[in-house]
Amino acid sequence: MGNCLKRATTDDISLLRGSDSVRETSSDQLGPSPYQETLPIQAASPVYHPSPSVTRSVGQLTEEEQVKIAKRIGLIQHLPTGTYDGCKKARECVICMVEFIVGDTVRYLPCMHTYHKSCIDDWLMRSLTCPSCMEPVDAALLTSYETN
Amino acid sequence: MAALPRRIVKETQRLMQEPVPGISAVPDESNARYFHVIVTGPEDSPFEGGLFKLELFLPEDYPMSAPKVRFITRIYHPNIDRLGRICLDILKDKWSPALQIRTVLLSIQALLSAPNPDDPLANDVAELWKVNESEAIRNAKEWTRKYAMDN
Repeated sequence: MGNCLKRATTDDISLLRGSDSVRETSSDQLGPSPYQETLPIQAASPVYHPSPSVTRSVGQLTEEEQVKIAKRIGLIQHLPTGTYDGCKKARECVICMVEFIVGDTVRYLPCMHTYHKSCIDDWLMRSLTCPSCMEPVDAALLTSYETN
Repeated sequence: MAALPRRIVKETQRLMQEPVPGISAVPDESNARYFHVIVTGPEDSPFEGGLFKLELFLPEDYPMSAPKVRFITRIYHPNIDRLGRICLDILKDKWSPALQIRTVLLSIQALLSAPNPDDPLANDVAELWKVNESEAIRNAKEWTRKYAMDN
């Protein structure tokens, strides 16, 4: 907190402008021109989020951000995954709000909150925190390494 | 139009089926990501009796990023500026995909009950709120009567 004044100037005041751009991109998808197939590199260029509100393409990342993201990917890979077997308490993934179905690939965080793997990985790539309890995932992992 | 994510459909349905007391959020007819919101001023606050219009937009990567929310009705509040932009941590760095439209609007309603002049967005309002709270509250009531009633 306390940084609102600084950020306020860069905020997009008109929310409707945001909606226009959504409409534009979606109408683009409606009728893809055959020529677009010759430009797949641009479309497939991965986008990263050094922090949740920051979006950058690979080329725009600073060295520091690249290291941060590489470490993040490493940490995420250490988190256990499993298959939903129907006997867990959580019935619904709070990120996509879709009920877990037996056989879904899920990821368990150290705080024991469970999400669809694809849902939580998308978030962890932006912030290493549990969406439900805000527990920092990296700190929890480091502690468990130390105790082992 | 790209398909609306299941989550947005579900949230909208739940908002309609179990509305939050004192809050109405209705999706725009032409854009399901844009909501017309009305928040009633909380009891025992200088905003009591007022109906405050807001706009809420769910960005393309929602819920990975926070909804964008803005007051349309003018309001005298240290954390809301003259353009209606709101200084609220969960709309910025404390956003989590476990939060929802419902929880965001409840937080905004709570912000009306508990202004925080130490984390200002409207500097002049925050200053007066700190040095002369009773006058600031009088102004807030006056603005509520002027801009948020009978319209």
